[in-house]
Amino acid sequence: MGVNSSIAYRELQANPFRPWAARITSITQLTDKERLFEFRLIDEVVRDAFDFEAGQFMELSIFGVGEAPISISSAPSKQGFIELCVRNSGTVTGALHEKQCGDIVGLRGPFGNGFPFEEMKGHDVLLVAGGLGIAPLKSLINHIHDERHEFGKVTILLGARNPGEILFHEEFKMWKHREDFDLIMTVDQPDDTWDGDVGLVTKLFDKIELDPKNTYGAICGPPVMYRYVIEEMRKKNLDVDHIFMSFERRMKCGIGMCGHCGVGHQYACIDGPVFSYWEAMNLQEAM
Amino acid sequence: MFFRILHKGNVGDLVTGLAATREIVGPKAKGEDFVFGEITDPSELVLDYPTTILPPKKYFLLPKENLMHYDTKNSGVSQDAPNVTPRVIFGVHPCDINSLLLVDKVFLGDFVDPYYKARRDNTLIIGVSCMPTPSCMCNAFGTGEVNQGFDLFLTDLGDRYFVSCSSVEGADMLDKFVETREVEPQDMKAFQERTKAWEEAFTPAPDITQLPLLFDAKYNDPLWEEIGDDCLSCGACSAVCPTCYCFDVNDRQDADGQGGNRVRTWDSCCFSSFAEVAQGHNFRAQKAARVRYRFYHKQWGYLSKFGKVLCVGCGRCTKACKVNINPRRVIEALVKGGE
Repeated sequence: MGVNSSIAYRELQANPFRPWAARITSITQLTDKERLFEFRLIDEVVRDAFDFEAGQFMELSIFGVGEAPISISSAPSKQGFIELCVRNSGTVTGALHEKQCGDIVGLRGPFGNGFPFEEMKGHDVLLVAGGLGIAPLKSLINHIHDERHEFGKVTILLGARNPGEILFHEEFKMWKHREDFDLIMTVDQPDDTWDGDVGLVTKLFDKIELDPKNTYGAICGPPVMYRYVIEEMRKKNLDVDHIFMSFERRMKCGIGMCGHCGVGHQYACIDGPVFSYWEAMNLQEAM
Repeated sequence: MFFRILHKGNVGDLVTGLAATREIVGPKAKGEDFVFGEITDPSELVLDYPTTILPPKKYFLLPKENLMHYDTKNSGVSQDAPNVTPRVIFGVHPCDINSLLLVDKVFLGDFVDPYYKARRDNTLIIGVSCMPTPSCMCNAFGTGEVNQGFDLFLTDLGDRYFVSCSSVEGADMLDKFVETREVEPQDMKAFQERTKAWEEAFTPAPDITQLPLLFDAKYNDPLWEEIGDDCLSCGACSAVCPTCYCFDVNDRQDADGQGGNRVRTWDSCCFSSFAEVAQGHNFRAQKAARVRYRFYHKQWGYLSKFGKVLCVGCGRCTKACKVNINPRRVIEALVKGGE
């Protein structure tokens, strides 16, 4: 079920199909194809009531083009704005990429569930992202960062096709030097600038040590990645109900009605997008 | 609930009385078939009919509906209030009443669809009993009888109807518009005999007790390839199904480019692009996977969420499918296959 602690907000959203107007307040070019957009909901009452969890998603509207579900990248601990990391890959995302700072778009949500942040507190966390999969995980990472004292060891494994496709590169380069985050990046196709690891993200598991009974795993990446990353996590003896992953589907409504995001007997939009491995291992066509 | 007897000759009074304040919709003949359509003269109404081509779903989840009008320049939204006609739907079979109760769980659940809700709130339902056709299998799903979801329900006793009334609006209809009488012992006897005759008229139902388990256990059974090979991916089964609720949403620009409508249309998981995600990855690219998902969702997926099967055995998909794919064939193949 979609989690939203603010009853007032749900009441405001009497028509869950109706988007709120949101102004683009900042655009950061991350790679050739990806930009980080910061939005502010224009209606102050709605903006103040807006609340979300790391892992939830928004339905982004470009009127005349359509809607697309996009994971929230900013942390719930930072209020007043919403960050969406968007790859220019389809009609809606392409139209967003043509927008300028100050332009208005439509947003509705947040929808879906989040990563079990409260449950993860007091434990070590291993986050594994491939490509654009870092977008929802960044919300979780930033949330953990803002409440860092609540967590044990935090390990982040990042994979990308080549150095040019690494998202949030500058930010993560700084993080690499922090003592309270272990961050390892790898690329499939290195270039002359690359001095990090080479190979798939699964290769990085050889370089880390985990306390399996005390660690939560969180995964997000392309569909092909999950099976292999889970295999590595299981080799490290992580429990099936301590591994969480976010599924990407084309969610037309976001509220469990349109049927497009069916995964086995669940809907990614309301039962997910975050599933534990225990739930997902029993779902048909999940991975 | 209370009960009355209504003579068939008086049904027209009910139609005429209700027509003053509501649109009347009911089954009427269309060639050799029957359809739910507007009734402008009581004589058009055919209450003794086998089944309609489309179920009454079309009055709640419209085949095509403008959800809102948008202004492209300011990204503003207007006109998202649903356009609702107060209506009474006459002559709804028990399976179709049960189907609406199933679709309600999706559209009136944790999130409420205001368009669907406005139509449900403004529609009265008058049900009518039926006799099974060869493709009917409500006896398998327990959906051939109803005790909720209607305002009035008419059970055919030959020259009269045994009327079950289950709402204030239903009681008002009987009070205001039509003459009825108390139920007498011979009416009760006729009602029971009628029910017995109805039960005996069915083709025996397939055993569905193990279906959820079989769907999981036989997920990779060759039977899905065999059935999938036949499928035309035409979506006819979804279009005629009273419990299929999947939809698509698209923006349709006005000619002046200044705005347009966000439009919802019926969709089907049988269509090849239905489960496509970014970068063209498709979780159900094969026909067999789509056919399997459709039956899986109906007979097990929805059940796991809401405790009921998402099929009422109306038989419309059986009649609509050009290549003989239907619940009975699938269930029997699952039960027998892989031995």
